[in-house]
Amino acid sequence: MSQSSLKNRSPFSLLDRAAVVELMESRFGIPPAAFENVSFYRRGRNVWAFSLPEIPNLRCESVGLRFISVRGRVPKPTTYALQLFGRFATKNSIALSTDQAEKFIAGEGQRLDAEVEDGYVVVSYRGDVLGCGLYTRGELASQLPKERRIMNEVRKNCLSDGDCR
Amino acid sequence: MEGLERYRGIVQDFERFVEAMAAPLPVTARINTLKTDRDGLFCRLKEAKVAFWPFSWYPFGFSLDVEKPGNLIENLMGHIHVQEEISMASPIILAPKPGERVLDMCAAPGSKTTQIASIMENRGLLVANDPANNRVASLRSNCERAGAINVVVTRYDGRRFPSSKFDRILVDAPCTGQGMARKDFSVLGRWSLKRSLGLQRLQRGLLERATDLVKPGGTVVYSTCTFAPEENEAVVSWVAERVPQIGIGKVSIPGLESSPGLAEWNGHIFGDEMKECVRYYPHQNDTGGFFVAKLIKE
Repeated sequence: MSQSSLKNRSPFSLLDRAAVVELMESRFGIPPAAFENVSFYRRGRNVWAFSLPEIPNLRCESVGLRFISVRGRVPKPTTYALQLFGRFATKNSIALSTDQAEKFIAGEGQRLDAEVEDGYVVVSYRGDVLGCGLYTRGELASQLPKERRIMNEVRKNCLSDGDCR
Repeated sequence: MEGLERYRGIVQDFERFVEAMAAPLPVTARINTLKTDRDGLFCRLKEAKVAFWPFSWYPFGFSLDVEKPGNLIENLMGHIHVQEEISMASPIILAPKPGERVLDMCAAPGSKTTQIASIMENRGLLVANDPANNRVASLRSNCERAGAINVVVTRYDGRRFPSSKFDRILVDAPCTGQGMARKDFSVLGRWSLKRSLGLQRLQRGLLERATDLVKPGGTVVYSTCTFAPEENEAVVSWVAERVPQIGIGKVSIPGLESSPGLAEWNGHIFGDEMKECVRYYPHQNDTGGFFVAKLIKE
């Protein structure tokens, strides 16, 4: 093997598609068809979603979208994965009111009753997915990345009741 | 208005040009069709009582009356990307198709990358390259927020990008940025002929490499946000002369007012085909300044 092919050897390894698709179906009820034309790779403790079944022969910093973190006990979908595919969820999905959405996008936890199983949930507001939440014993913890949170003084201006969907 | 006087002879309505350069840029954004659609987004903005005005020339761009559009919930969700109006032109001229292999050679911070990904409907391959370590973080962050799954981020010096073949390549080159003065006035004070000529070497190297990497029949789009012909026509004509398989294609976007590229400047002859390139001046469409060329490989 030449020096350059060693250098380019990808740290990403192809995953069994069916296993990832099944995980999204069993937890969120997202139909496998939603992931048609998506391949999954693993690097370190993350699963990445990518448009092609093979990685180009380049030194890649990232490949597609960071999709699931397998760091913890339970696989955690990223907020970005749910913003893209969460609209297909048929279970373990919580729709927030304006007051609740304000807390969620500020990164605050809150008590609320929801018909979901404990664990990671799709959190939406007015029909659009905000991101990933963690629901445990009646409490919803926001899993929005810190740099995406919107704090108190501005969030009043960005939310409104209504239904575009 | 330091450094602009040299363009008096080439810019029509020069006084209006100078006036426009002194006015702040409108706040503009692009709809991310990977995550939402135009009707849904406009409905949300209406309900949130955000005033907005769709562009006449591009259905997915609009200006809006918000001081900090980055704080809109639509931005958090990745439904919009805050982006200068005229910078949306080069991906449109690149015109990638879903399933193609595309290279964005100078990609950070990723406004055009994410626009290309959305035109490609998240399919095929989009290599987003940028050598600058500190800029790759913003590139990756913007790609994540956009939900781009067809993007691979690399960090090569574009001039030495490894051999591969692409259907289309965007070279949105580093430049002196005079066209961005409405956003950051200090760029005008930093301009010098020496800086333009220094960047010209880099720009020529990037564009020449791009012509190697593009497949026969493929397209390379070269763009900058500066007015200096040294960084525009002088780069494109030099590469077109050195690479015989390269022809210059006509750039045109209906609804955007533009001026043709220059066939000559200060005694330098670039050739008549440079008139197929376009220059967008700030007073023409109330935007930043921009230059776009389209190169087609036989």
